[in-house]
Amino acid sequence: MDSEAETLFNLVKEKYGDKIAPGELDEVRKAVEKIVETSMELREFELGNWDEPFSVFKPYRRENE
Amino acid sequence: MNPVYAPLRELSRSVRSGEVSPVKLAETFLERLETHGPKLNAVVTLTKDRAIRQAVRAEEEVKEGRIRGPLHGVPWGGKDLLATAETPTTWGAAPFRDQVFDSDAAVVERLDDAGAILAAKLAMIELAGGMGYRQPNASFTGPCATPWSPRHWSGGSSSGSGAAVAAGLVPFAIGSETWGSILSPANNCGIAGLRPTYGRVSRRGAMALSWTLDKLGPLCLTADDCGIVLEAIAGHDPKDRSTSKRLYRYVLKRDGLRVAVPKGVTDGVAEPVKRNFEEAMRVVEGFAEVEEIEFTEFPYGAVTRTILNAEAAAAFEEFTERGLARGLTAPECRYGPYAKTAVLAVDYLKALRLRERMARIAEDVMAGYDAVAAPSRATTVPRIDEEFRKSTPGTARDIMGALGNGVGLPAVSVPSGFDEEGLPTGIQFIGRAYGENCVLSIAVEYQSRTVWHKVHPERFTP
Repeated sequence: MDSEAETLFNLVKEKYGDKIAPGELDEVRKAVEKIVETSMELREFELGNWDEPFSVFKPYRRENE
Repeated sequence: MNPVYAPLRELSRSVRSGEVSPVKLAETFLERLETHGPKLNAVVTLTKDRAIRQAVRAEEEVKEGRIRGPLHGVPWGGKDLLATAETPTTWGAAPFRDQVFDSDAAVVERLDDAGAILAAKLAMIELAGGMGYRQPNASFTGPCATPWSPRHWSGGSSSGSGAAVAAGLVPFAIGSETWGSILSPANNCGIAGLRPTYGRVSRRGAMALSWTLDKLGPLCLTADDCGIVLEAIAGHDPKDRSTSKRLYRYVLKRDGLRVAVPKGVTDGVAEPVKRNFEEAMRVVEGFAEVEEIEFTEFPYGAVTRTILNAEAAAAFEEFTERGLARGLTAPECRYGPYAKTAVLAVDYLKALRLRERMARIAEDVMAGYDAVAAPSRATTVPRIDEEFRKSTPGTARDIMGALGNGVGLPAVSVPSGFDEEGLPTGIQFIGRAYGENCVLSIAVEYQSRTVWHKVHPERFTP
């Protein structure tokens, strides 16, 4: 397990350890590893500073006011 | 006229002409839901009182000459993540089995307005599969079987929506798809399923799994039926900001159809699925120009998976914090939500930034085509009593599912034949954004030249 996955797994364990049965911890560890692997795939792809998320925030104001 | 397995146009004609009464229709399908629903684990709640009340109203309107549209008097079933006043909305999960909302979901309201009759709330994978299920037994109502075999799975997460239509328990159903949840049951049950463009149908009142991926759509006996239902449920809703103001009218395109097939689309696909897909494409070549295309290498799966994980973790934050996952059915769902909280904000945002690139890739490659064709799923129908990876191992990557759902493209799945065990296989046609009529045109023409949608499981045929 790489150090990032290990750190994130420990964070999950710290937050939710009381809700996870001991026999389930290994499965949670594998799932965290998979999440980190998936994130690595994203990180390999370079984007520019101007590449925005594909959802644009619009300020809100009630109509007719 | 026997209404069971009748296409919607035929049902509609019979209701209009007075040949079939809406009350009789409601009674027929309620009786079938009651008798056959438990055999499949397809039904959560029968909405009998509501159905009869609506049917009586529909019948009075027919007598007054007021026909609301092609769904007037036609019974339907809704995936049990659509809120309904009066009856429980369980989200397929034991911790929510007594949950009751005080109003109907937008799609339920629209079908009410169209004169359709809600007959049942249908089974689904708990929390629409958002907790990472790995087996069919992931619903508090039990694993849902495909009507083609009691030993095989209906697909999910819109499990009951697929099974109920295929068994002739309702003429049509509504399901939802975040990633595969309409196309999978359509495939496994041998029916048509339409995933509309993201924002085509209001999600108000539907359980949120992933705000930017969730779509609601019909499961029907034919692609033509899907178009009829989509027209009734599509439209802008000021209470769902994602909905489009583009008007949807179901109109078929007859000429100049063009279909693309991605290079390597059957790599790693199970042999019967591949064989039926190739045979289906030979039929498509009879009425459409078919060309091979190639999607550039891109982290399609990683983008959609990251968005889904992060949004599901946020949508179920309170559920997770309260430890309610412990009450779920599948063991893997009881700890599933915790790992999802490990997605970093910067990675979620990277996925949202890459989503635009992905949408542009799709548009560049798909421009000029009415649809891209692919097998609906890579494997044959999984067994009902085993983990998917054991009963249907495979190496194929679901690039079309990741891409189509990631950037909100429409797709329709229709049956392409059967495997050696008599279980259905499917072909999907994926379209450009707002291209439902294009994919439906291909699917309707394909079904006019094939018989798979006219074959029904023997033990449910009246």
